Amino acid sequence: MQEFDHIEALWAKHTVDVTISADEMLKQAKKEVSSIRTKSLLNIAGMIFSFLAVAALWLFFDFQSWTTHAGISIIIIAVGVYTVILYNNYRIISKSDFTVNPNEFIAKLKLYQLNRFSLYNRLYWFYAIALSLGMALYFFEILGHLDLWAQILFVVLSFGWMIFCSTLVRKAVIKKDKERIALLIEKFERISGQFHEHQ
Amino acid sequence: MSQKDVLFKEIFDKNSKKIFHLCYGYTGDKDSANDLLQETFLKVWQNLDKFRNKSLISTWIYRIAVNTCLTYLRSEKRQAKDELTENIIENRVEEFSEKNEQVALLYKSISKLEENDRLIITMVLDELPYNEIADISGISEGNLRVKIHRIKQKLTELYNQNARI
Repeated sequence: MQEFDHIEALWAKHTVDVTISADEMLKQAKKEVSSIRTKSLLNIAGMIFSFLAVAALWLFFDFQSWTTHAGISIIIIAVGVYTVILYNNYRIISKSDFTVNPNEFIAKLKLYQLNRFSLYNRLYWFYAIALSLGMALYFFEILGHLDLWAQILFVVLSFGWMIFCSTLVRKAVIKKDKERIALLIEKFERISGQFHEHQ
Repeated sequence: MSQKDVLFKEIFDKNSKKIFHLCYGYTGDKDSANDLLQETFLKVWQNLDKFRNKSLISTWIYRIAVNTCLTYLRSEKRQAKDELTENIIENRVEEFSEKNEQVALLYKSISKLEENDRLIITMVLDELPYNEIADISGISEGNLRVKIHRIKQKLTELYNQNARI
């Protein structure tokens, strides 16, 4: 049978080491946010690459039909507009620092989440329709040079891929994105909000 | 390095061990304790300008840490309390059994106390003055003394019960 004195003595001889420093701690907090920023930047980089790749078609091929030019134009305009929207969205969170101004940062993170949501919903469908229209016009001339089976294969693969991205991939991305940002908002709100309650 | 950075670093170096001890005592799990330590000091960083020297800075930080610990586990995103307590016990036993069975037993006993009691007893064991604990936990010193007496009894009882198993 032990008394409380024994517990006190036991506690006193038990030591723990803090494994994180002040600098590391602030860096770690910033890192969580920077992963969202990096993802957003990679997104933009991918879109710029697509923009350049599609525009490069004009340099390497001599298209005869106006439909091909119209198709490529529609695709690069859609990609360009979507890239600008993505960039504007990125700017919302790029300049704000949670460790400096938490309330402003949380507000911006919420706005970013809302914008991402609209990017994957309403805006996405405009983008998908524009791409489909662009591809249909582009294929008009291009597919004429191919055999029937190759034409069918091209159309099925292209539109199948778009349908796959618009349904399964889009839903998975929305879910993952939403959860990730919501978790950050929840964490930062908890950090900021609770302090005021018990100040 | 700005003046705020220097001040923060000094505050962190002076207080982080005790706060980590509190968080570790509360959760019994190093990763969670690190999370809590980080959340606590982020709040300290953000609100450093608002600190008005009405109380000791250590008291102020402790208050933030206690609040952080309590709300951390209550958060909807966290696991259910029972589930978490089970994890805590398992982790504690795993982490301490080889080093010190008695310390493992003590952590196991603390984890069976009520949330507030866990924090109070951790501060008592860390030898914080009663008036400071009263200030941090927001209860009168008279009530706190009674409460501490009861928690000590309960913890001793739990410790002895666990020791017999």
